[in-house]
Amino acid sequence: MKNREVIRERILFILLLILALLYLFPMLLVLMNSFKGRFYISDTPFALPTAETFAGIKNYFSGIEKTGFLPAFGYSLFITVFSVGTIVLFTSMTAWCITRVKSKFSSFLYYLLVFSMIVPFQMVMFTMSKMANICHLDNPVGIIVLYLGFGAGLSVFIFSGFIKGIPHEIEEAAVIDGCGPIQTFFLVVLPILKPICITVAILNTMWIWNDYLLPYLVIGNNYKTIPIAVQYLQGGYGSRDMGAMMAMLVLAILPIIIFYLSLQKYIIKGVVAGAVKG
Amino acid sequence: MSKRSMSLIGILAVLVMVLSAFIPSAPAKADGGELYFLNFKPEQAPVYTKIGDAYKAETGVTLKVVTAASGTYEQTLKSEIAKADAPVLFQINGPVGYQSWKGYCADLKDTDLYKHLSDKSMAVTSGDGVYGIPYVVEAYGIIYNNAIMTKYFALDGAKAKSMDEVKNFATLKAVVEDMTAKKDKLGIKGVFSSTSLKPGEDWRWQTHLANIPVFYEWRDNKVDIASDATKEIKFQYADNFKNIFDLYLNNSVTSPKLLGSKSVDDSMAEFALGQSAMVQNGNWAWDQIAGVDGNTVKAEDVKFLPIYTGMPGEEKQSISVGTENFFAINSKASAEKQKMAADFIYWLYSTPKGKAFVTNDLKFIAPFDTFAENEKPTNPLAKEVMRYMADTNLYNVAWNFVKFPNQTFKDNFGAALLKYAQGNMKWDDVKTLVVEQWKKESAR
Amino acid sequence: MQKMPKKYYVFFTLPTLLAFVIAFFIPFLAGIYLSFTEFRTVTDASWVGFNNYILAFTDDQNFINALIFTIKFAIVSVVLINVFAFFLAYLLTRSIPGTNIFRTIFFMPNLIGGIILGYIWQLLINGILINFGVDITFDASYGFWGLVVLMNWQMVGYMMIIYIAGIQSISNELIEAAKIDGANAWQILKSIIVPMVMPAVTICTFLTVANSFKLFDQNLALTAGAPDRASAMLALDIFTTFYGRIGSEGVGQAKAVMFFMIVAAIVLIQLRLTRSREVES
Repeated sequence: MKNREVIRERILFILLLILALLYLFPMLLVLMNSFKGRFYISDTPFALPTAETFAGIKNYFSGIEKTGFLPAFGYSLFITVFSVGTIVLFTSMTAWCITRVKSKFSSFLYYLLVFSMIVPFQMVMFTMSKMANICHLDNPVGIIVLYLGFGAGLSVFIFSGFIKGIPHEIEEAAVIDGCGPIQTFFLVVLPILKPICITVAILNTMWIWNDYLLPYLVIGNNYKTIPIAVQYLQGGYGSRDMGAMMAMLVLAILPIIIFYLSLQKYIIKGVVAGAVKG
Repeated sequence: MSKRSMSLIGILAVLVMVLSAFIPSAPAKADGGELYFLNFKPEQAPVYTKIGDAYKAETGVTLKVVTAASGTYEQTLKSEIAKADAPVLFQINGPVGYQSWKGYCADLKDTDLYKHLSDKSMAVTSGDGVYGIPYVVEAYGIIYNNAIMTKYFALDGAKAKSMDEVKNFATLKAVVEDMTAKKDKLGIKGVFSSTSLKPGEDWRWQTHLANIPVFYEWRDNKVDIASDATKEIKFQYADNFKNIFDLYLNNSVTSPKLLGSKSVDDSMAEFALGQSAMVQNGNWAWDQIAGVDGNTVKAEDVKFLPIYTGMPGEEKQSISVGTENFFAINSKASAEKQKMAADFIYWLYSTPKGKAFVTNDLKFIAPFDTFAENEKPTNPLAKEVMRYMADTNLYNVAWNFVKFPNQTFKDNFGAALLKYAQGNMKWDDVKTLVVEQWKKESAR
Repeated sequence: MQKMPKKYYVFFTLPTLLAFVIAFFIPFLAGIYLSFTEFRTVTDASWVGFNNYILAFTDDQNFINALIFTIKFAIVSVVLINVFAFFLAYLLTRSIPGTNIFRTIFFMPNLIGGIILGYIWQLLINGILINFGVDITFDASYGFWGLVVLMNWQMVGYMMIIYIAGIQSISNELIEAAKIDGANAWQILKSIIVPMVMPAVTICTFLTVANSFKLFDQNLALTAGAPDRASAMLALDIFTTFYGRIGSEGVGQAKAVMFFMIVAAIVLIQLRLTRSREVES
């Protein structure tokens, strides 16, 4: 009996191992091809580099040059970090306020924000980019406002769900101690919200870092984020350098993998919490 | 505070520091003001940056160049022109483009550049007004590698002795098919480069090649191309299109079923690497050919052949010379900005410095009398274009594709050609689709 | 904190509210209005009533085709993703060495952006198809299955994590008790685990349906609708209608409004089903 279970475990382990390798295969394939010459990629992607086809890291140089990868990385990082920071700060404030202050306006606002979650982006893509232009938000700083507005729904929803579960007594004690609403929120409530802040931050990071259409329409002509740079490499310049493409895919994946491996525990927890609440 | 949150704060602090190095700086406003140019030619984007630097050094005016990705110019122009800071200098692709953008095209009749246009009939006009000034003359045909052709002509039983004998479709077909049969001896993978049919990469067929039957149809029916008679076509020379298109497909480096992933760049690379002997494209492709690593094609071997389709009398047909690039100035911009734009294009096409950029960097054949004979580009394809233009025995196939309905028509036609190449659509259905789509999209 | 002076209320809500109004609320209302007009830019709109909605169906077949393609895609991927995800979650909650590493690997693709995923899979799929002398643009069904595989690769890890959380919340005593009663692994799976993770099933179905319907980046990068827009899903069809041709912006906006209504309807049905199930249990 014991023996049979061990064998079954081994079989399952091997099965999982094969699956895991299959899972990693596409990424490894891109990595391998990024070292091959541009003409040896599309037709024979599975062939290992040989002396003839090996291109070293030349693709990385041509890709970085053609796409302007370094500024793209800078824009992506800037927009993601500051948008996420802004979203966490302002939506937690809003969520706390409209959860605690019961009024018709509060619940109207709450439902309006939740409603925005189900609206597909295509519905507002044209009018939003026009609005962004009128308000001079079509630059890497202004786009933060758009992300705050478009990301508010989900974030307020998650924060509200959590805040409802916090006992009122803690805040009341703070008020008795002489705290105004601002102190109460920043000194008492926000520390309690820390785990959920991480959840909200992670969900928004995953969305904003990878977002393509919104930045493409709003700032894409002047400021290319990483997804826009990759797409531009495919369609733009009347040319399609597969080598540079592979190298750019590797460079685009790398930061997110590092981010994931270093904050893995928070990310998985955050995703579960976000999904269960959402 | 726990150790974990400390480390999290640490990471954040590092991030913020890294970021501060990347913070995008707002484009500096120069003293001479800023001129926004929406560029059509992606391959020229780096050149315009250089031109911008030179122009700024000379006049203090900052040239803001934005370049649309290939196939997205209209889409980009549409979103940009609606903005507060709209392009002042942009381009239209001829009379059809003018119809779309006439609300934004200023009258250029009194500009200095127009006065120097060698052939005034080339401009886009309406009534008394001039709304588009052509800024480059281009030509397309079948580019061939003379080294491979010479090798072929030397073989026993070659169907011709030199390119001078290839003056019509029948000879071309015989030569090409014989070359395919002997491709191992010639060291090529196929006679023609891949017929790129990836969406957005199919303009060589749905626009340039399609121009030829349309040109003959309008010529033979005496259609006034300025009239509404162009809103419908019969596509009566569809079979001529099919002649050459089939020849491209069946004697190619790539199997017809794989063409949906091929881009223009792929085909030019095949030609540059000597894998193919011929490729249909225009003189603008020279840089693409020359820029490929491992290029085996010598400059003196690169020549042009007219695109023969089996039309009677085509022995006298030339390569197809024309333009689809016209400068337009945004009439909704302030008078001051409009003048800046007119000054800039005049500077570019009349001063020695500007002309040097046009000839040496942009490699344009410029249609202005400000250019002397020795100021014309010297790359092999440009020379070929000038050789054909000088040959008065030949008749030109005008660029009537500027009258093609719109991008949607071209995209649908291109998609149908892909299906035809893959064997998923019959030629008669392609023909019907062209006629119907033409009518439908023209009616918009 | 039941009552708060007005100035504090404004302080806490104004930044979000302002951004929300600019980025969402005004564009949303303007979008509905523009769907009844013909326009190139926002300022030159002229009222055309329901004309755009009619044109969306009559002008060409693209919208209907995209709708059918999307529905088929959503059904197939929802089923496959959930089956695989549950299967993996079930394996990874058993005592097998290295479960954490496996979890890490399976979740990883979820973090990669849609555009990049699309190109990774384009390379892989075309690399396989070239052996059969075709490529992904040859037939819309290649694009369809390509997208299904891609979507599975991306979403299975995510859903797996949620199922794992669901399975782990089942008390050990319950399973131990069943084992003592002589239940085998299959019986435990069928009678205890599956019923107990039903809430997770609801969540996962919801997330996969929503994501399948709104899929855009992956579609754009993998096939861009080729051949002849036959593999374009709703979001991509709307985008191409909008930006592909001058003069059909109104039709694109009308399609977007219908797209919104379809998504909203699905969400409402989903919520109602969830609620009725909660009442039963």
